[in-house]
Amino acid sequence: LDHGYALHTAAKDCLSSVLSQDVQIPAERPRAVFYTNETDPANHTEQHEGRHYSIPLEEVKAVFPHGLPYRFQQQVKTFNEACLMVRKPALELLTYLKNSNFAHPAVRYVIYGERGTGKTMTLCHVVHYCARQGWLVLHIPDAHLWVKNCKELMQSSYKKERLDQPLQASSWLKNFKTSNEHFLKEIKTQQKYVWGKRESTEQGRPLGEVVEQGLARVRSASDAVGVVLKEIKQQCHLGSFRVLVAVDGVNALWGRTTLKKEDKSPVSPEELTLVYNLRKMMMNNWNGGAIVTTLSQTGSLFKPSSAYLPHELLGKEGFDALDPFVPVLVPNYSQREFESCYHYYLHRKWLQHEQARTEAGKEELRFLSGSNPQQLERLAGPL
Amino acid sequence: MAAPSAAGLGRRLRAWLPRLTQVRWTRYNPSFLEPEVNKELYRKPWDELSEEEKEKQELRALQPIKAAPPSVSCSVFSDPMISKFTNMMMKNGNKVLARSLMAQTLEAIKRKQLEKYHKAPEDEKEKIECNPYVIFHQALKNCQPIIGLSNITKGGKTYQVPVPLKDNRKRFLAMKWLITECRENKHRRMLMPEKLSQELLLAFNNEGPIIKKKHVLHKMAEANRAYAHFRWW
Repeated sequence: LDHGYALHTAAKDCLSSVLSQDVQIPAERPRAVFYTNETDPANHTEQHEGRHYSIPLEEVKAVFPHGLPYRFQQQVKTFNEACLMVRKPALELLTYLKNSNFAHPAVRYVIYGERGTGKTMTLCHVVHYCARQGWLVLHIPDAHLWVKNCKELMQSSYKKERLDQPLQASSWLKNFKTSNEHFLKEIKTQQKYVWGKRESTEQGRPLGEVVEQGLARVRSASDAVGVVLKEIKQQCHLGSFRVLVAVDGVNALWGRTTLKKEDKSPVSPEELTLVYNLRKMMMNNWNGGAIVTTLSQTGSLFKPSSAYLPHELLGKEGFDALDPFVPVLVPNYSQREFESCYHYYLHRKWLQHEQARTEAGKEELRFLSGSNPQQLERLAGPL
Repeated sequence: MAAPSAAGLGRRLRAWLPRLTQVRWTRYNPSFLEPEVNKELYRKPWDELSEEEKEKQELRALQPIKAAPPSVSCSVFSDPMISKFTNMMMKNGNKVLARSLMAQTLEAIKRKQLEKYHKAPEDEKEKIECNPYVIFHQALKNCQPIIGLSNITKGGKTYQVPVPLKDNRKRFLAMKWLITECRENKHRRMLMPEKLSQELLLAFNNEGPIIKKKHVLHKMAEANRAYAHFRWW
């Protein structure tokens, strides 16, 4: 009954042309037009644009230990399924990645857009694709967390003028371990690393040992992160594995921090070990992978709330460091995407208000949200 | 057109214009009519309206109309009960905060019910109510007392006399009890939406401290039946 209603109303909108092209193998029950059965992002094309594809929950735990926005995690918990919408910017990025030449230096992609348009979700779609393809994914969920609100800031043992962040580094290492288990056994260190008076990692040991060392001795976690990044960068050009560096909120690396040293002088980002090592990863002097980043004003420091363009958020220093890059704009929902999202919420019983099912309710939602994905999600919450 | 409308007006109210008036304030002349915010009524073509509706429309064309207060909206999702509750939750005029707390409460109720719904077996799914508005209205209805107590002084002594309550008073008492219960008797660190959603779900199932308070009030009124004749209204 439910599906019949959804099919009927969705077909009335401009999705009817796609119905004839998309021959879906009939499962036990026919799925509505705004769903697609294609769970592999590698096979997503323009045909699937505006449709939701679901990721099995075990895969979500394995691929995204720390990537998804908080509200999306709550939605996954409530609906008992993780459904992502296939949108044009993500499809664009996937075509670029499929056609990229890995002998050339790594291309930098910068996803930008206004607040709440779906930049982080596009990044998560790309990360899912690369994880399915067997790439090594270095996913930093929010670079802004590394430049603010740090409870413990210690002087680095490796270089005197740098500062370590043991808590952030250890939580990142824990999540990195969950998502890339099999790579940690394959990649071997190429030199000896000395962590302290009695601890050292020999040459040729698997990278998993470095990660264990960082997790066990939290004091050297930031240096462990640096070692991991250095080893991956040195070895990815050999071609045995591809690397995706996915950074959310990359403008944090070149902005200002709110951290202060013990003598109350401000800390600039390059004085932090984590940021210094990540900046080296963002340069295009290595090949065998890609760098996909997102700009974010929401967590940024000392930037006006209306700023969303790359040169506004990155500043001169960041823009020069990332230049040349491929910009990818993420707009608000189009008509089709809005209809798809609305019907998805109706189908999952998220929109409970009886007026929300009517045309008047739908138009009101469209007007109030301005077709902005985040606003629509927040409006649909109490309804 | 003019003759039937003049006959249908009944009481002829001349627009009263004293020498000095404020244009809009809370005390209006009785000739001012309430604003009509329902969009559906305006969309109906003239011929479809019934006789009394046509008369009403013509009257409204001639009489002055009060300014619409900011709390009244033409949105299809607005609910007067929810607005009243939000106003009672508001502190120091911070309506933005009160409204966002209300939205978070409704969302919290919906999430809890949906999680229960998805985990329940097929035959029990219809019994679980997921609509937060239905739960809110039913919970308020369950919390409303039927009879109240009033202090009446007779012969120097004050007695607690059982007295029937008006609808407005019942609604007010139910909302007041809900809000005070959540503010005072809960753990300090628990956020208001969570506390409220818990209380509303308990009240929906006729359990919880507010239903108990209502029963205590009913019992007191039953115990003081003897003084019921002290009431003179």
